[in-house]
Amino acid sequence: MLPALAVKLIKPPKARTTQAWYASPMDAMQAVDRIIELLESDMGQTSNTSMRIPTALRDAAAIAVRELGVAASTTALTAAALRARLEAAVMQAVLDDHFRQYPEARPSLGDLAVAAAELDGHPLAGEPARIRQAALEVASRHPDAEPEDVLLWAEARAISAP
Amino acid sequence: MTHLVVLDNEAVQALSHPAHKKHVRVMSHIQVVVAGRRSRSLPVTVVVPTTVRVEAGWDRSVPAWAFLNRLLIGDVALDGSTANLAASILADARVSVADAHIGAVIQSAAATKVTVITSDPGDIRRVAADKEVHVVTI
Repeated sequence: MLPALAVKLIKPPKARTTQAWYASPMDAMQAVDRIIELLESDMGQTSNTSMRIPTALRDAAAIAVRELGVAASTTALTAAALRARLEAAVMQAVLDDHFRQYPEARPSLGDLAVAAAELDGHPLAGEPARIRQAALEVASRHPDAEPEDVLLWAEARAISAP
Repeated sequence: MTHLVVLDNEAVQALSHPAHKKHVRVMSHIQVVVAGRRSRSLPVTVVVPTTVRVEAGWDRSVPAWAFLNRLLIGDVALDGSTANLAASILADARVSVADAHIGAVIQSAAATKVTVITSDPGDIRRVAADKEVHVVTI
């Protein structure tokens, strides 16, 4: 039988409000899994938070809800925006982890521009070679270019082509 | 505007296996979707009909599928009314159960734009019938 003092030391303090998962370090994928678990859990439970947001942002959100009908309430608008941002962050973290493990799986700027054209129904979507050429030209001068930059350049080149 | 992106069996296979010859191609589409959500908060959702998951062998409880699970690719279940629609599509178009389910997803989607990433564009256009669908061939 354990002495009373030992039992007292083993028992977690009742006043603790921070869960162990939060206090202990996680690797990125553990964090991703925990965020996904939370995003998929019951959203009916709500909490008041002490989060502070700029007053002007709060007022702008209130006007957007009232006058533009962008959401049922500013709370709904805030929650939806937060959820969308978290989902995007999770997906990007997963992709980054995948590219670390499999560098050859990382799409080139040309690959991304072709995919963007296909998903958007861009007029040049059926001309991947033209888009890839544009990607090479743009990347040589702008290493941080985005797929949209490539599509603009490809379109400009297509218009000026004889 | 809401945009629904539906994966077919080969798109799932390509995404799940880094050595698959079309892996980078499907990864490009996923990366573009993620970048759009991140930078412009575009409401683009990537889904997989559950019968496509069956065909692809995608068991969400198996660790080998963790990568796809973490990409937040949602299920579209084959419930009663979807099954009725899929049965009708299957009879008309003579396609697989999974393709008929994709057709039911296309025809009943509330999204303003539906894109299917597929290796079989002909079947997808057939199961879409009169509903407008954007097909990306891999």
